[in-house]
Amino acid sequence: MRFFQALGKIDRKIIFIILAIVIIIPLLKPFGLISRASSRAEAVFNAVDAIPAGKPLMISIDFDPGSMPELYPMLTAILRHAMAKDVKVILLGLWLTGMGLGEQALTTVSREYNKVYGQDYVFLGWKSGVLPVVLGMGEDIRKAYPADYYGTPLESLPMMANIKNYRDIPFFISLSAGTPGYESWIAYAQSRYGLKIGAGVTAVSAADAYPYLQTGQLTGMLGGMKGASEYEFLVKQKGYTQQFSPASQAMDSQSLAHLLILILIVIGNVGYFFTRKVTRREEK
Amino acid sequence: MNLSHSLWIWIGTFLTFCIFSFLYKDNPLYKFAEHLFVGVSVGYSISISYHNVLYPDLIVPLFKQGQLLNIIPLLFGLCYFARFIPQVSWLIRLPMGLVLGFGAGAAIPATLQASVIKQIQGAILTPNIFQRIDLFAWALISFIGLICVVIYFFFSKERVKSTRLAAEGGIIFLMVGFGASFGYTVMARISLIIGRFQFLLRDWLGIIR
Amino acid sequence: MQRTIPLAICFIMGIFMMVQFFVPHPISTNAYDIVLKWIRIITIFALVLGVGSLAMYHTTKIRRKVSGWQFSIITIIALVVTAVIGLFGGVGRGSWLQVIFQNIFVPVNSTMFSILAFYMASAAYRAFRARTKEATILLIAAFIVMLGMVPIGSAISKRLPELAEWILTVPNTAAKRGIIFGIALGSIATSLKIILGIERGWLGGGRG
Repeated sequence: MRFFQALGKIDRKIIFIILAIVIIIPLLKPFGLISRASSRAEAVFNAVDAIPAGKPLMISIDFDPGSMPELYPMLTAILRHAMAKDVKVILLGLWLTGMGLGEQALTTVSREYNKVYGQDYVFLGWKSGVLPVVLGMGEDIRKAYPADYYGTPLESLPMMANIKNYRDIPFFISLSAGTPGYESWIAYAQSRYGLKIGAGVTAVSAADAYPYLQTGQLTGMLGGMKGASEYEFLVKQKGYTQQFSPASQAMDSQSLAHLLILILIVIGNVGYFFTRKVTRREEK
Repeated sequence: MNLSHSLWIWIGTFLTFCIFSFLYKDNPLYKFAEHLFVGVSVGYSISISYHNVLYPDLIVPLFKQGQLLNIIPLLFGLCYFARFIPQVSWLIRLPMGLVLGFGAGAAIPATLQASVIKQIQGAILTPNIFQRIDLFAWALISFIGLICVVIYFFFSKERVKSTRLAAEGGIIFLMVGFGASFGYTVMARISLIIGRFQFLLRDWLGIIR
Repeated sequence: MQRTIPLAICFIMGIFMMVQFFVPHPISTNAYDIVLKWIRIITIFALVLGVGSLAMYHTTKIRRKVSGWQFSIITIIALVVTAVIGLFGGVGRGSWLQVIFQNIFVPVNSTMFSILAFYMASAAYRAFRARTKEATILLIAAFIVMLGMVPIGSAISKRLPELAEWILTVPNTAAKRGIIFGIALGSIATSLKIILGIERGWLGGGRG
């Protein structure tokens, strides 16, 4: 009986250490659990795949380094997919502290595919105020962004010559960690200008995105690190890249950690119910 | 093991462990990293704001291209500084009123369209629901659940027996929804720590690929 | 006057933005373009306000030698150094600002959020109790989604991912949709109150 009562009183530092071990071991010795793609991830993939070569894909970085492990692998996988298909990429963001991540991703991936800035991809950067950006690009991207992230006037970038507003963007992806994020794009860009939107979200807000998926306001969704691993799987399966996939590598650790949390909840409840039983017996 | 030779990786690793040390208890190393982060993030924000907004949107049009109409937003923006001058601190209400009115006015039609009308359409006009009996059943359950949840959130009138029943049904749907959110939240939090361990094991120690 | 003029500005802007949504006339769209540009410029000054407030707070702490004032020196130095590097060094590829961002900002920011995993594990163990019927339903749904959404779920049973998917697309969608309605109607009501001047909290206190 005392053993079951003690189950409810494990010191939290021990829990921290067990969690760390459970995460590190699969990283050192992978089990090879395979992450198949869901229909939501396939929808995003197919939408990007359907963009003809030479047409643009617009991606918004609506996250910061706090959500990097979940959303940054999505960003690099999508960039690899687009660049392998010679789809032009326009990158921008609603989160100021995400701009460095965009710069980092573009530098890394463009080198792999020998892409030239201004011809194959453009980084618009950040602007203050969410609505002026989201609404402004519906009229004219140049008015919302007179210059790119590096200060180069947009008129001087060859890629932007035939891209005026959302009507010239076949598909848009928002990688969001919260507000502002995909909901702002749906509310302002899609409802007013009919922009076709897909989303990559942190797992925290993935469950909240399902109503938008069901109405078709979102064309597909990548949810958390699992979603990132699904997209990486699809991009590799189609032969667009053979680069290292950090999200896929993490799935073994993710699985074990989930099992640990479940076991901890069960242990905690067992300890609680036994303690309650003993307390009630003593009261009687 | 292939220890990194990059000074910056070692700095990043040191700062990572400074933050991790908080798991044991609050300490000067954690405070140092925290305060450094606050300073760097604000300095970073200033730099990006200048290069991405202030210079291309205000300085170039106003001072280099002579578009004098931009004096108006400049004056409105300068009113924010009135906060530091007690005698004219009320001036801060001018840009606040402008921005709030703009945001509120833009939000109404957008929210109605995206979050009300479209969602009602999705609840009632679910595509393909008559193709299979199970799709129809799930759509019906979802619709009933939506009605129950909306009834649960209506607090303006005392509940009678039927609405009490519906509200209790709403609670069940809400609990399932929150359970799903919690399940996903666990995934999110675990992902973040996996990311940090990947950095330590891959970039710093070179143990994993 | 000190309250009337801001309320009037708020009202005019609000009505303009609502009406403009439905009016495609060139005069309307030109005015709309101008307003969008002005708002972008005005909102950047709010950042300056935030920076000023932060600098004042830390310099006051240093001057008064409040507990932990030494760390405020670190904040001020980091702020000034990063801002100077960024303002004069630019934000381009390979810039020092990008180096600082990747090697100082990113590690600290990501690690700060990652330690939540430990606290979440500890909280799940200590606080997640199936005390009531509702809590039990929440727990069961969480269990199914937690297992179904990772590869080990399909290794345990092929039904698990399907069940998790059903939970997410049927009852979860219903619940979240109800919440979306509530938030949407609430935000529309609040926006109307702000535009019409019924909600005046943003004006602050004080005379006028």
